[in-house]
Amino acid sequence: MSSMADSPKTPKAPSTLPFDFVPQEPETAVANNPHAKATTQVADVVDALKAHFDQSIRDLVVYAGEHTVLVDREAIVEVCRFLSEEKGFSYLADLGGIDRFTEEERYEVFYNLVNIEGGKRIRITIRVEEDTMTAPTVTGIFPAANWNERECYDMFGITFDGHPDMRRMYMPEDFEYHPLRKEFPLLGVPGSLPLPPQSPTGELTGDPFPAAHGHKPPKSFQEVKSEEDND
Amino acid sequence: MSSISQTDWSETLKFWPRHNEALYKRLETKHSWLETSGDGAPADPLEHEMVLNIGPQHPATHGVLRCVVKLDGETIERSVLDIGYLHRGIEKIAENKTYQEFMPYTDRMDYLQPYANNVAWCLAVEKLAAIEVPERAQWIRMMMSELARISAHLIWMGVGLMDAGAVSVFLWTFQYREDIYAIFDEVAGARLTVSHSRIGGVATDVNETGIGLIKDFTDRFPEAVESWEKLLNRNRIWIDRNVGIGQMSADDVVRMGLTGPNLRGSGVAHDIRRFEPYLKYDEVDFIIPIRTEGDALARYFVRLEEMKESVKIIRQCLEKLKTVKGPVRTDDAKRAYPNKDEVYYSMEGLIHDFMYTDTGVAPPKGAATYHAIEAAKGELGFYLQSDGTGYPWRARMNSPSFTNLQGLEHLLEGAHMGDMVILIGTVDPVLGEADK
Repeated sequence: MSSMADSPKTPKAPSTLPFDFVPQEPETAVANNPHAKATTQVADVVDALKAHFDQSIRDLVVYAGEHTVLVDREAIVEVCRFLSEEKGFSYLADLGGIDRFTEEERYEVFYNLVNIEGGKRIRITIRVEEDTMTAPTVTGIFPAANWNERECYDMFGITFDGHPDMRRMYMPEDFEYHPLRKEFPLLGVPGSLPLPPQSPTGELTGDPFPAAHGHKPPKSFQEVKSEEDND
Repeated sequence: MSSISQTDWSETLKFWPRHNEALYKRLETKHSWLETSGDGAPADPLEHEMVLNIGPQHPATHGVLRCVVKLDGETIERSVLDIGYLHRGIEKIAENKTYQEFMPYTDRMDYLQPYANNVAWCLAVEKLAAIEVPERAQWIRMMMSELARISAHLIWMGVGLMDAGAVSVFLWTFQYREDIYAIFDEVAGARLTVSHSRIGGVATDVNETGIGLIKDFTDRFPEAVESWEKLLNRNRIWIDRNVGIGQMSADDVVRMGLTGPNLRGSGVAHDIRRFEPYLKYDEVDFIIPIRTEGDALARYFVRLEEMKESVKIIRQCLEKLKTVKGPVRTDDAKRAYPNKDEVYYSMEGLIHDFMYTDTGVAPPKGAATYHAIEAAKGELGFYLQSDGTGYPWRARMNSPSFTNLQGLEHLLEGAHMGDMVILIGTVDPVLGEADK
């Protein structure tokens, strides 16, 4: 915010539009979060991780008392094994992808691990580059990761090396896009999903709204010419 | 009836040919070690192996769940579940809505207990943006979430028993579910898709009629549970159909990541209400029912006990609501909707209402939090990432039905075909939530 006192001396800066949105900086809201949980206080686990995987730990973010540890993509299996076997984080609560569109190392995969006996929760993330699009699978340590990794592959196109069943989770195998990528349009890609035929002998349709696009289906009282009639 | 490989699926299945091909191929290759480990045993001359496709339009699959199973006689040898028939891309939708705008969509996730979904979403946003919630709103949310839990368990019980052949229990449980609908109608203004929770509190306070209805329900409901217990707990048919079915050890459920009653039925004491208490769960007195057997019967007892505990919690909430008065929504117009009186009778209020609808709450840039609640099915969590605008950059839903269905795939293998419907019922999936 520029004060009125020094404005005559300095050349007039182009004023920002008064309704322009200015993103809030993080330091104000994080001080004491009313919803912060005791389970996410895992400073000792992070220290142990740093001691064991010195080179592989790239970053640590703490927000609202939650620890997010960014580790090297190649080290994720070893980190998970260490947390699972040494630190009791044997329960995989969640796993999923994030598209950091316009950033370097575009994709991110997060692992939400829970230590049930110890009452702790930690989040590990890895970054995946756009040109490789692969990450090591953790299904060997957490079988629960199976479907989550499939979902991540379905939604973002990240394949997991060594996964026992790398199929799509929700979309049909014939679908060619990965819907949660930021460039995928919200309304979908017209014609990308074949729709059931309108009649038992009809062909698959690509357009979900044929009438809106000028195609008029025959009325029920109109007789459809069969192929024999055409001949 | 013969071997799968002889059939060209791309010819027989015109609809999504590659998808079905992959699905059946998976069924063939799954546990291929089973076949390679044998020492060249002769092929079965009777060819009693059969591939059976159940769903997605089968009423016993509790929605649009598709199970492709390979049967050896009566035993399910392998099973592959195919979900996604109700996939609406709700995470994508969330990225294109403001935080408050998206809240009604959560009603459609687990449509058996919409209230708890609303609360889960609002709590996640409140954690992301560090919004405090008035105490009275927290008690109301808690009370209504427990009612939602009861109503979800009532559906599980009625439908589960109908799967086992007892149709009358479905009608009895629906009688009480109808009472809960009436309560929601009075409190929230809608019977099913309540959308009552708001970021920073709830939409409206509970009036005296609503309190009366809830009190009446808590008075009558325990007797009903007792009468059902009398019928079922020593019922030969019900116990024989459930005991020893779908057994999973404590280690297995943790490894498979099951949540909710499926976890606690196997003796793992994990409940988000105790694990990381949200709302006022650390101030009420209740127990977390746990069974160690790990079979369908254990999960039945866990859910039945949970309903009784929920009534206990609701009673304490009613008691608290007598003394805890005050606003039901935080009085910060930048973070929550202003009071309707303000909106209608003051210019500032109208502007705030407009701005909140247009932009809404904008958590700090780069903020990312995960908040989970214990829904009726298990851990329902939202992992939200903000880019500093009013729209979430990434809204990830950790839905309990999704994780539980993964466990179902393993439960089915080795089970009898006749138990399959019971197993689907005992895992209690809701496909609206699993498919997102």
